[in-house]
Amino acid sequence: MGWLAPGFLLGALAIAVPVWLHLLKRSSSQPRQFSSLMLFEPQTRSTTRRRRIDHWLLLLLRIAVLLLLAAAFAEPFVRGHLPGAAPEKLLVLAVDDSYSMRAGTRLEEARREALAIVAAKARDTRAQIVALGSRAAALTEQTQDADVLSTALKSIAPSDARGSLVLLAGLARTLAAGTQMPIELHLFSDLQATGLPPDLSELRLPPGVTLVLHKVGQPTPNWTVESVAAPAQVWDPAKTRIVATVAGFGTPEATRTVTLFIDGRSSGQQSVKVPASGRASVVFAGAEIPYGLVRGSVQIDGADALRADDSYDFVILRSERVHALFVHQGSDQATGLFFRSAIESAADAAVVLDAVTVDQLRTRDLSSYAFVVLSDVAGLPAAVETHLAAWVKGGGRLLISAGTAAAQQRRVPVFDAPITGSHDYTRDDTRFAAVAAVDEAYAPAGPLAGWQGIKVFYVTRVNAPQAQAGLRLADQTPLLLEKPLGQGRVLLFTTGFDRLTTDLPLHPQFVAFVDRLATYLSGRGSRSSALNVGDSVELRPDPALRGSADVLAPDGTHPLDLREAQQVRSWPLPAAGFYVLTLADSRHDLVAANISRLESDLTPAGDDKLKLWEAAGSAGAAPAPGTGAVTAPTPIGSEESAHNLWWYAMCLALVAVVAESLVASRYLNTLRESSK
Amino acid sequence: MQNLLDPAVLNAISGLDLVASTVVDGFVSGLHRSADFGFSQEFAEYRAYAPGDDLRHVDWNVYARSDRAYIKRFHGETNSQLMLLVDASSSMGFTSHALTKFAYVRFIAAALAYLATRRQRDATGLVIFGDTVRDFVPPATRQGHLQRVLAALLAAQPQANTSYAAPLLHLQSFLRRRGMVVVLSDFYAPPADIVRAVAPLRIHGNEVVLFQVLDPEELRPRVDGSSMLVDLETGAQLEVSEDYVQGRYRERIDAHVADLGREARRAGVGYHLLQTDQPLDQALLQYLRLRTGRD
Repeated sequence: MGWLAPGFLLGALAIAVPVWLHLLKRSSSQPRQFSSLMLFEPQTRSTTRRRRIDHWLLLLLRIAVLLLLAAAFAEPFVRGHLPGAAPEKLLVLAVDDSYSMRAGTRLEEARREALAIVAAKARDTRAQIVALGSRAAALTEQTQDADVLSTALKSIAPSDARGSLVLLAGLARTLAAGTQMPIELHLFSDLQATGLPPDLSELRLPPGVTLVLHKVGQPTPNWTVESVAAPAQVWDPAKTRIVATVAGFGTPEATRTVTLFIDGRSSGQQSVKVPASGRASVVFAGAEIPYGLVRGSVQIDGADALRADDSYDFVILRSERVHALFVHQGSDQATGLFFRSAIESAADAAVVLDAVTVDQLRTRDLSSYAFVVLSDVAGLPAAVETHLAAWVKGGGRLLISAGTAAAQQRRVPVFDAPITGSHDYTRDDTRFAAVAAVDEAYAPAGPLAGWQGIKVFYVTRVNAPQAQAGLRLADQTPLLLEKPLGQGRVLLFTTGFDRLTTDLPLHPQFVAFVDRLATYLSGRGSRSSALNVGDSVELRPDPALRGSADVLAPDGTHPLDLREAQQVRSWPLPAAGFYVLTLADSRHDLVAANISRLESDLTPAGDDKLKLWEAAGSAGAAPAPGTGAVTAPTPIGSEESAHNLWWYAMCLALVAVVAESLVASRYLNTLRESSK
Repeated sequence: MQNLLDPAVLNAISGLDLVASTVVDGFVSGLHRSADFGFSQEFAEYRAYAPGDDLRHVDWNVYARSDRAYIKRFHGETNSQLMLLVDASSSMGFTSHALTKFAYVRFIAAALAYLATRRQRDATGLVIFGDTVRDFVPPATRQGHLQRVLAALLAAQPQANTSYAAPLLHLQSFLRRRGMVVVLSDFYAPPADIVRAVAPLRIHGNEVVLFQVLDPEELRPRVDGSSMLVDLETGAQLEVSEDYVQGRYRERIDAHVADLGREARRAGVGYHLLQTDQPLDQALLQYLRLRTGRD
């Protein structure tokens, strides 16, 4: 027996109050009239007698009330079964329906064991069925009906989702927060090692939850196309390289045949020797890729229990090279040369740069350009700025570099931020400023390591508190800023691309930086060639869009209903395959969803880890390294569980209160009669 | 009829005269004309009229035949008088049930007055006393006297302390005729002092009877645990224990009653203990016994 809130036991000290009152009452009885005290003797009063307590029964009842109330608030509990009462608990049966459960008869085994638990449970025990895949889906309410539970178990089908045991811990916490009953949580799973988080503390189970693991399946060798590195967008197939990695888990050394399919047609085939439980890569170069969105797939010859992971799907968009406009001062020819050289040096060189002067910009049709670069332009005519701003608001992307010429202006055109000054670092003792802070989540910025050694000699300072800073100098001056304008974006590089304001063009980082900028500005970096099952695709880029979205699933169905089509912003991919998307802005897209290759490794988690987790779940504490206490699960209905007795204590207190009232009433009547 | 002598029954009767007649008539009928007692209504003899005799008792038939006035004498008619001394101190207001000691005494006094006046043709007087004489009705036999006695009884209320010496000394000056003195009190005083105070009343041959009226609770008090008792007369408070009340006090009250009876008998004074939950016939019976003994 124990106490959940032992601090309330201090309330038992309140029994001193009735004891004191009974002693006090003894010495201050109600005066009672008598005809004559002539025959009474004052010396008969006894001090010993005075200290004796009257109404012992009443006092004991009052003490009992206080003790029982204190006990009720302290919430006593006992482990084991209460006499005459079936153990009250919630039985939760979680069945892993992740992709790995397709191997062999794992799911059937899990379902069979869960059905046996349902059949063996006490009739009044409440239970709930949960399918554990990419999320924990409750298939039933908490019910005592075994038929409902069995039907739910039989309805569980294997999915393409990735299983995560962390979800189970979250499920346990949610269930424990919603019930006062102890929870017996059964997990039926192949318990892959890849399903365990690196930090076992994430599997912490709340108090009152007992975990029972049911491991199904045996370690099975499995080959898979682990990954495919394919460009999301190409303009020159001759330069396209598709790299596929074939991996084996628990497999012997073997030679696998790898085939590349483009739009369903074989586009190349190679053999590769895969080491035992190892990896091997295959490169397909120069594959013939038609224009538009192309369905690609790399497959290996299947010879294992899991077939779906023998193929890896991806999507390639083949298009013409995009054009960008580089606007410079007429006198500055060098900067455009640097910029063009950097873009053409990029791996795919998908951007063609057209250089014009400010005067020539007036007559250009901007709609044919993916982005525009204003290179240290000393002011724009108002009409040109208005024209350029309107283009950006319509979805265009603009990069402005503000070097020494632009710094002479009062404001940055289109970016619409006042120029507060400039700083010439060559006049400082340090002679230059270095890049000190990089927002690595901001794609154009890249990693900080690449910026080491870059010297900035001159910077234009602007007041743009609303803008996002991707790069900052050591004195916290922003070097790269971005802010949205309508549906477009404007980037501000607060120095020039020439060698006078920075030595960036002299470093390899310049090529990488310009390539990232070009990729980002042209929108090519926003799409990936392949996604995983469970990843979400954005169907409504702008929440204000009123259009209807649509999804055509691999099985030919349209999973979105009318309400979802009108409102949904993003949608998770439920299964592997190609999905044809119609976005809310009427654009079309094609995405490939692949099963997470973490599911391909069928190696189960080590027994020591599982027993540690199970033991920690039984104790309601986080697993700790080196803890050796392991408790084996006991059969349903015979295990010990904690029973809170506060309700019984409260009922007894109520009975004691009633008894106290009756006894006190009797004493009160006696006193009244005596006082007459 | 015996039930009508139950104090609880009498307490429900509003008129004191009706109470008295009910008690006495019921009592008398219950005696079945016992040979032990002679009631005044039974003819005994004639005697010659003497000045001062009540003309209502002259037998006018004999006077018409013999031209002599004779007074008709009956059994029990001895020209006696009954003097009732009623204690109306505060302690008489005590009760443990519906009837206070004073109400019980009031019934007894009324019944005795009725019996003496109506049945025995005795002159009946009344003294209401506490620490002093509060009311005094001289003994007489004339018509309406009984109502005066009853009215005095009704008007009396228990109050103040008790003092036996002063009232009884005052009474001695009024007792000029031979008769009976009945003292009704709880007698919370030393027995020797009480007897010393009432003994002088026996001059002129008076019979003195002490009726000690006590509530059952006074004889056998019930105390649960301890109690703070307040003296009805003095207001003094005393905390007593259950053990004492059930032991030592009972011994003392029993000794007090026994001492008073012993002292009274030693002084030639009658003594009777009456409890307020008992019928009133004991007092009437005692009165008649004494009355008969005097004839």
